[in-house]
Amino acid sequence: MSRVFHITVGDRRRPPQTAPVPTGAPAAELGPGGGDERGPGIVAGFLAPHPPHLIYAENPPQNQPRSRGGWELLRWAYQEARRRLRERHRPDVIVVHAPHWITMVGHHVNCVPNPRGLSVEPIFPHLLRYRYDFRTDVELATAIADCAADAGLVTRKLTNPGVRVDYATIGALHLLNPDWDIPVVSLSANNNPYFYSDADLEQMERLGAATRRAVEETGRRAVLAGSNSLSHLHWDREPDLPEDMAAEHPYDDHQYRWDMDLLTLVRAGRTRELRAFLPRHIEATAAEVKAGSLSWLLSALGWPEIPGDVLGYGTIIGTGNAVIEWDPANPARAHPAPPGWAPGPDDADRPRPMTGARS
Amino acid sequence: MTVVGAALVPGMPHLLAAEPAPSWKLLADAARQAGQDLRAAGPDAFVVLSTQWFTVLGHQFQVDPNPRGGHVDENWYAYDYGTLDYDLRVDVELAEAWACQAEDMGFQARRTRYDGFPVDTGTVVAGKLVDPDRSRPIALVSCNLYAAAGDLGRIAEAAALAAGKLGRRVAFVAVSGLSSGLIQRWIEPAEDRFEDAGHDAWNRRVLDLLAAGRTDEVLALREEYAREAQADSQLRALAFLAGSGACDRPARVLEYGPVWGTGAAVVTWLDG
Ligand SMILES: [Fe+2]
Repeated sequence: MSRVFHITVGDRRRPPQTAPVPTGAPAAELGPGGGDERGPGIVAGFLAPHPPHLIYAENPPQNQPRSRGGWELLRWAYQEARRRLRERHRPDVIVVHAPHWITMVGHHVNCVPNPRGLSVEPIFPHLLRYRYDFRTDVELATAIADCAADAGLVTRKLTNPGVRVDYATIGALHLLNPDWDIPVVSLSANNNPYFYSDADLEQMERLGAATRRAVEETGRRAVLAGSNSLSHLHWDREPDLPEDMAAEHPYDDHQYRWDMDLLTLVRAGRTRELRAFLPRHIEATAAEVKAGSLSWLLSALGWPEIPGDVLGYGTIIGTGNAVIEWDPANPARAHPAPPGWAPGPDDADRPRPMTGARS
Repeated sequence: MTVVGAALVPGMPHLLAAEPAPSWKLLADAARQAGQDLRAAGPDAFVVLSTQWFTVLGHQFQVDPNPRGGHVDENWYAYDYGTLDYDLRVDVELAEAWACQAEDMGFQARRTRYDGFPVDTGTVVAGKLVDPDRSRPIALVSCNLYAAAGDLGRIAEAAALAAGKLGRRVAFVAVSGLSSGLIQRWIEPAEDRFEDAGHDAWNRRVLDLLAAGRTDEVLALREEYAREAQADSQLRALAFLAGSGACDRPARVLEYGPVWGTGAAVVTWLDG
């Protein structure tokens, strides 16, 4: 069973944080415990992919199926993310944007104080039957919905406790904080599940800006989690043993190279270019960032021209997944791209997305 | 004759609204009529595909004899029609035989039997309209979005073969919309309409072809239809129904109209 946190939320109002620290600014001072001394605001953002295989492989008590492990490099990346979250960022709240709470009309914010239940995942029921029980930071959740509406977005506040929490929300939150002892705000992804269309990334950026405003207005110290995989073509059948790592590899070289180009931009801190690159990456690899979680995340951070720290990359049923941290106060070391390099592999033979993938 | 008929019905929960838009009511009445017509053809069971149970790995077959519970839709929870109870009667023998037949044909068939498994809105809505008294058991398969559409036709063929071996007479039901572009704001039922005339025109073109018995032409247009009018799951539902062999005749279009701006139709393929 998950443990329920015991912190009272909404009682730690602080003055709003100023704009993000620009590139090259001195790192924030680290406190005695390794935590930094920053005040409220968005202190870090993670790209936090959610394939249920990662929870399945961890065998936590909340999940019914049992595995022999697998996908260790990604799970070790999450271990490092957890350490930084707990020791350095020490947030009041984790705000997650997840693509499997698909809302066809509007951007929804979960305002249920204590979502709990059993989430049997309809796509991967053999991997994820997870008993969840967590606390929502309702004040911040409400503020995000209100700020998003102020920004002209169609919104809705979910107050019906009967809606099952999806596996992307559970996946990112469990992997970042398996103790569930930090309050949460969960945002839906306004998408159309029945057609392979992309989310309106401009709206996701507006939602990101609204999230930032709400965090600042409520005085929260927040970590954001955008729960997206990268390249997303994958097998349409599974090995008999899901965690058979002999069957795990990139779907194809094309997807892998596009993912590496995206990560090259991230590591170099070329965030403005990354923003322009995302639609190309989506087009080329059916990337799950088409659901908008990464655009939301980076917009909330103000598209900082700082390197992201790629904590790990790995494939899951052929899809590309990276755990990345952006920490504006303590940016990762920059890894410039080689001279003359430009993103976007030149491959004329690329497969057409969604036309019947095969393992 | 193993396959007695087929129907395409919408799966949007609005059809169950206490105060429906005119088109929602007409569509719901038509779905009830389609159910009555299918039942009159004498099936022992319904074979059902809902695009709202979409999957990406293998083909999933429901083998729980009695999935039951409550379902709150993650989009429409704020409306009366967003909270649904269900109590399904599954023909496990048929579902199991179907899965085995699919495996014999080279597909990965995964059995689904889990407490708390969330049955999708479309399956529940269609069940309440097509066979409200649960007079016939059902066999359910997921809609694999990563498989080639033609594979779903073969999956339907497998159902017909399995039913034939068991001596079952079956009717096929696909639960799917047509164009899937929703009105992107909260509306009152009376405001429902097609905001995109192009989507409406595409839906009508497809329905006219089906009514003329030109199923293969529609199947050939699927990709274009998906691009131009955001067809629900690239109209895999029709590939499934065609695979049953029941769509080799002119269809009867009982109703067509908008549901929150999407295209919805009730279509049957029956003798006579
Ligand atoms: Fe996903």
